[in-house]
Amino acid sequence: MRAVAIAFALAWSLAPVYWMVVTSLKTELEAASLRPTLWPQNATGVNYASLWAGSLPFVSFFANTAMTCFATAIVAVLIATPAAYALSRARFRLRVPIGYSILMFRMLPLVVLLAPLYLLLLKARLLDSFVGLIVGFTTFGLPFAVWMIKSFIEAVPIEIEEAARIDGYPRWQILMRVVAPLIVPGLLSTGTFVFMEAWNSLIYPLTFVTTLERQTLPAALVLTFTGQFKTDWGGMMAASTLTTIPLMIAFFAVQRSMVRGLASGALAGA
Amino acid sequence: MTHALARPSDLARSGARLPWLDAMVMPTLVVLAVVVGYPVIYTLLLSTQEYNLLGTEPARFVGSANYHKLFDDPIFWQALRNTALYTFGSVAVSLLLGLAMALLTDGLVGRRGRFVRALLLTPWAVPFVVVAFLFRYMYLQNGGAINALLLTTGVIATPISWLNVSLLALPAVMVANIWAMTPFFFLIMSAAIAAIPNEVIESARIDRAGALDMIFRIKLPFLRNALLVSSLLMIIANFNDFAKIWAMTQGGPGYSTTTLVIYVYRQAFENFSFGYASAVGVVWLLLLLVFAVAYLRALARN
Amino acid sequence: MAQISLRGVAKHYGEVAALTECTLDIQDREFVVLVGPSGSGKTTLLRIIAGLEYVSAGEVWFGDRCVNDVDVADRDIAMVFQNYGLYPHMSVYDNMAFGLRRRRLSPNKIDEHVRRTARLLSIEPLLSRRPRQLSGGQRQRVALGRAIVRDPAVFLLDEPLSNLDAHLRVQMRGEILKVHRAVTATTIYVTHDQVEALTMGDRIVVMNQGRIHQVGTPADLYDVPIDKFVASFIGTPAMGFIACRIERSSQGVELVTDSARMRLSPAKAQAVAKTTAERVFVGIRPERLTLAPEERASTAEVMVRGIVELVEMIGAEQYVHVATESGSLTARVPREQAVKAEKTVTLTAAARDLHLFDQGTGIALR
Repeated sequence: MRAVAIAFALAWSLAPVYWMVVTSLKTELEAASLRPTLWPQNATGVNYASLWAGSLPFVSFFANTAMTCFATAIVAVLIATPAAYALSRARFRLRVPIGYSILMFRMLPLVVLLAPLYLLLLKARLLDSFVGLIVGFTTFGLPFAVWMIKSFIEAVPIEIEEAARIDGYPRWQILMRVVAPLIVPGLLSTGTFVFMEAWNSLIYPLTFVTTLERQTLPAALVLTFTGQFKTDWGGMMAASTLTTIPLMIAFFAVQRSMVRGLASGALAGA
Repeated sequence: MTHALARPSDLARSGARLPWLDAMVMPTLVVLAVVVGYPVIYTLLLSTQEYNLLGTEPARFVGSANYHKLFDDPIFWQALRNTALYTFGSVAVSLLLGLAMALLTDGLVGRRGRFVRALLLTPWAVPFVVVAFLFRYMYLQNGGAINALLLTTGVIATPISWLNVSLLALPAVMVANIWAMTPFFFLIMSAAIAAIPNEVIESARIDRAGALDMIFRIKLPFLRNALLVSSLLMIIANFNDFAKIWAMTQGGPGYSTTTLVIYVYRQAFENFSFGYASAVGVVWLLLLLVFAVAYLRALARN
Repeated sequence: MAQISLRGVAKHYGEVAALTECTLDIQDREFVVLVGPSGSGKTTLLRIIAGLEYVSAGEVWFGDRCVNDVDVADRDIAMVFQNYGLYPHMSVYDNMAFGLRRRRLSPNKIDEHVRRTARLLSIEPLLSRRPRQLSGGQRQRVALGRAIVRDPAVFLLDEPLSNLDAHLRVQMRGEILKVHRAVTATTIYVTHDQVEALTMGDRIVVMNQGRIHQVGTPADLYDVPIDKFVASFIGTPAMGFIACRIERSSQGVELVTDSARMRLSPAKAQAVAKTTAERVFVGIRPERLTLAPEERASTAEVMVRGIVELVEMIGAEQYVHVATESGSLTARVPREQAVKAEKTVTLTAAARDLHLFDQGTGIALR
């Protein structure tokens, strides 16, 4: 009985993904057929080939997305780590209010920031640029990174830091030489999370990037759908599959630490 | 005695007061002040202005006119309703499904168990835009997988245009959302269930607790905290959902799938009325804050 | 000169007072033990001396300078934490060298110091290993080594042996004392184990609930405890107490209790007469009590009759726990003497072995 239920759950979870991959291997005609087939009649890689060499700068889309998301992850982790350390260990009077504010920022509807950010980037001439997009991604990446890294830092026994203080090291050095090496897995998984959230972002690229060649994958998929892919579901699914793969790899890489990170936060009561 | 955290109550060090800020927190503060703080304030400002980016007139101050317009705007109220339905409905169903999955797979161990769990997590690893297009494809009236399935199993007689019928569009979008979100709850609940002390389960078994009793009386109370916190996280995330809806229906047909996000976006970047869009945004922000505070209070009370 | 003075040191965390009015003078090169139950404030006091915590009131002096505002790194101290606090990602060698590198010593000098210390503690073969590859006892030595290699003026040890098993603990006590004698530093040692305190300290500071109760040599604390807490805390097995009333008459003072007859020695009688105490606890050290047959009991100065609750066979002797209506006593009895639980027995002692403590304040009457 239980096995049946689990089988259903598996089917429910995997069927759409299967469908996506299978469709990507079908010809445009077959993909749009009125009687969908479970397995392609003539499995073909033509959809993928046309993404690579076709009229759309798909490779650019991919590269743009990869670069901006990667850069965002690095920037977020670099800036967030000292802040997380300070919020966790340092004694200053605005410590608690700042901590809560950063948490609150996480809860902001991003769309609210959209118009002012657009105007800001417009004035700074950062529209349609990588830097501008990274700035946008940071609005959600940075608060998230601070909170995740803070929980990793708190897991480091404080005696180790006290020993370093006694050994005469100033705080920045303690962070770099003692604490950071001990939370490397945490930093990596935080960076991956930020990467994933940025990869998923549609509203920022859609708004801040105006040239198609500079677009990221999510926005490109939406924009080209009306044109190129309107009826080419096979091609659309191929593009979708390629968009999915990096995210899936990143996801499964951090999946185990995700349990620890999210669960301890959820279980401990945020 | 362990001193895991700095104690903020430690003021007065022989006369010297604690500093207000810390150098390490400054980069983050500066960045956030610029990219979040400033836009929030600017949004508040914008909401009191009549500002059309494409208009020939410069922005002018109109006080609370945008807010009055908002309250009389039926589309705003529909968007609010849609947002509530979309968010709370999706979270509730996902939570139940995720919990069910977690309870189902609770006993699975070893490599097979990990494999099954990993497979059940896949929907969460799919980019939101892809979820949208994938389901859009599956919802096609002619050639969509869902209609094909329902037709062959005899559930319906004629194909349904899921995303083009006002009444069906929102539920259809919600199904896609639920599909993508369930693994999150599955993950959290699995971890929470695994954290239930073994002794409790074993005593219950010795006391011959039935399967239902085991779930409802024994396990569920332990999961309460995880349930509350994870649902808060997802509610906030869902409030922000843009990709999933936009790529599927763009808020249509009509306004049946327009949530507040979509509405603000369209007002800002299709009508270019930044002022009005900001007003909607501010109201939404307040609603979210009120909700979050109430929720956190309820959480803290337990 | 590593002479340390604490003057009126107090510490609170919000509403909670962790330390109250602590005043203490520690001489250069002394081995001082801070002992007390959990929550007594001994670790807090140690951390204040280290500079890891700020004082809420009072002053800490190292020699002739007040170090209240002096940072941890500038106090010339070294600390061994209860959980060792070793750097997990560094080798044993680097753990020990880390602090020295800060001082801009040449790599050769550092190497010399590290190896010399490692030799002293017999951990040379472990130098290239990581902490997670070491046993508890080995980690402990490395923690010690890391402290020693800094050649500080003051050593602070926070319950360093409490994570070790009993056998290793006894062995390490000797090692620590050996190290203390080899390096010429003042050592402050925190423990909850009074046996450890008695065996290791030149002087012992007994603390409870944030206050210092008594400071003295092991003999001072054992023979002349200042209050009931110190009397009951120090000594194995613990001192037992009987509640008594004081009856004053024209003939002098007398102790009255239900199940015992207690004669006061002249010195004690004088001490009691000077006070207005009405009720006291009378304490007798276990080794001063003799399990006597009824006949001899009648002539003893102090006689207590009670029921045996528990007999613990220790090996060479027995600890017999006797309960009376107004308190319990424990006696150390030779193994050969047959004692059975639930039997009524008589304990005898000499008048001069009585310790009197005011029931209200707990302070000894002398």
